[in-house]
Amino acid sequence: MFDYFLEGFGMALRLDTFGMMALGLFGGMLVGALPGFTTLMAMAILLPISFFLDPIVGIPFLLGIYKGGIFGGSIPAILVSMPGTGAAVATSRDGYALTKKGKSRKALDMALFSSVFGDTMSDIFTILMIFPIALLVMQFGPPELFAVLLLSLVIIAATSGSNPLKALIMMLLGLWLSFVGTDPLGGVERFTFGIFDLKSGIPLLPMLIGVFAIPEVASVVMKNERTKQLASVLGERLSFKEFRASFRTICRSTVIGTGIGIIPGLGQVVAAMMGYSAAKNASSHPETFGEGELEGVAAAEAANNAVNGPTMVPLLTLGIPGDNVTAILLGAFVAQGLRPGPQLFEEQGATVFAILVAMVFANLMFLVIGYFSIPIFSRLVTIKVSILIPLVIMFAFAGAYVFRSDSVDLLMLVGFGIFGIIAKAAKFDVMPMVMGFILGPPMEYAFGQTVAMTNGEAVNFFLTERLGAVLVLIAAPVIGYLLWRRMQTVTVTGH
Amino acid sequence: MKKTGLQKTPEAFFTLFCVALAVLSLVFIGSLVAAPKLLFGRSLTAIAPSLFPVIVLSLLLVLALVLLLLHVRNPPAIDEGPNGLEGWRRGAVFFGIMTLYALTMVPLGFLISSAIATALLSWMIGNRVIWQIAILSLGAPVLLYLAATRLLAVSLPELNVIELFVARFFNG
Repeated sequence: MFDYFLEGFGMALRLDTFGMMALGLFGGMLVGALPGFTTLMAMAILLPISFFLDPIVGIPFLLGIYKGGIFGGSIPAILVSMPGTGAAVATSRDGYALTKKGKSRKALDMALFSSVFGDTMSDIFTILMIFPIALLVMQFGPPELFAVLLLSLVIIAATSGSNPLKALIMMLLGLWLSFVGTDPLGGVERFTFGIFDLKSGIPLLPMLIGVFAIPEVASVVMKNERTKQLASVLGERLSFKEFRASFRTICRSTVIGTGIGIIPGLGQVVAAMMGYSAAKNASSHPETFGEGELEGVAAAEAANNAVNGPTMVPLLTLGIPGDNVTAILLGAFVAQGLRPGPQLFEEQGATVFAILVAMVFANLMFLVIGYFSIPIFSRLVTIKVSILIPLVIMFAFAGAYVFRSDSVDLLMLVGFGIFGIIAKAAKFDVMPMVMGFILGPPMEYAFGQTVAMTNGEAVNFFLTERLGAVLVLIAAPVIGYLLWRRMQTVTVTGH
Repeated sequence: MKKTGLQKTPEAFFTLFCVALAVLSLVFIGSLVAAPKLLFGRSLTAIAPSLFPVIVLSLLLVLALVLLLLHVRNPPAIDEGPNGLEGWRRGAVFFGIMTLYALTMVPLGFLISSAIATALLSWMIGNRVIWQIAILSLGAPVLLYLAATRLLAVSLPELNVIELFVARFFNG
């Protein structure tokens, strides 16, 4: 492992990697700072650029967008109480209150420092833990893999929204979409309706851009949103004393965010809410939370950024994307010929470590770029949507086309966009559908292999040889139910 | 008194779509999934290609029916949403422009189709400053085209005459 780490460390020290990461960070902050525009949208649209770069350049570029965008989302949350993402909702509670008190610069600085701290610590944890977890996963056979994939889908369904029934329906819809094309076991055609373009299945990229980016743009168009009046960046910078006073809270939130990041499906919203609630519960002055408390900003930002690194653990070891952003990263890995799973560490261990090490370097660059560019990004809150939206759409179409050079992909992009906006109107979350679509083929493959292994004696096989897989399968609905109950409490009350 | 029965909400229509999809796919599974490949009369795989889809579609049908039943027994309040009728009209125009963009990109080339689409979108969203629209629709596609084809070395669809012009311009 240490050899891979050293080799990866050396591979990460490339000028083009740093250059593209800086570009990604800048782009991410820029998009995140625009109200109505999200990191997810930026990543989905800029994903195709990564395909034409070396993996050690392209994937850190996307990670830069991810990290920059999460922080960028806190800028409109703090300045105009307009959180671009769910993760920034907790930040806006105290952040906007601080802005009203004329302390927006302190809030933005606190958001930056706590984000960088949380992210860096969780990335180091990921580097230390990912290899032992991959070694453990290598012991898995098809029954265990099927059980873990099923458990992941249940967790994602339980935590993606308030109604797990709807999430399960969307997940099954995603699984159905994954059947379109050729059967992964027997190689026969399924659900192609005789259309030649569907023989190779539904391409992931138009689906990702279509269901994640297009509905968000369409939503801005449909609401005919006008940007709020910008609050100017006022007040003094954060002092070291103020940062030190919140340090304990930042550490606590980092631990919470790291723990949540490992579990597929929970993500930044839950982490931010839990971090914020824990800080409030532990505080000797909880009544000041929501009234402009710097600790509140620190707690939410450290927790939601600490999720970033550990989400790579299930993604890289099992190929399970924990949320919609890691689903996009999975697309980037696959397009680069790096198929996530335990074998990835045997075949491309140094490349994986190079990407993980680049994540740590990205945080240091993030600190510098963020510190000096906060005033610039703060001005972006007022950019006209009539200029931005046509550019976003043009990027989306160019991105969807270049991967396969097939005009059918453009129609699929529009089709998935329409589907996404209808699903949004019907209050169905598209995230479980994408997860079902991605995890469908490996799940079916593992299922088929498991059936073959039983040799017609399923009960005997499972009870004598694969008890672990049985236990995971039994535990899946119980864990799903408990997580759903917990999510209800966190999202409704914030505790 | 609370009204019972199936309300005409987007939620109910979406659930009905899922029910219809599951029922039709299950009924016509024989023609939607090709027969498994056989070797000496025996299947090459442990499970039939339709087995996993049948399990998934059956679960989809059951869950969609349960959701529909919950709707009938406890109908949600009809919510026009934040968009309203005007919002949906704007959405329809937006998707109309995107469909036009998708259909024209290959026959007209990236530059012309992008110029038309960006100009239409910018106007639709409320920009009435002609010079801004002109710069946006003429400048941005050219910059993206050059960045994609010259820096990233990927191809975007373009008319032969324009491709020839660009090639001559850059190659001298």
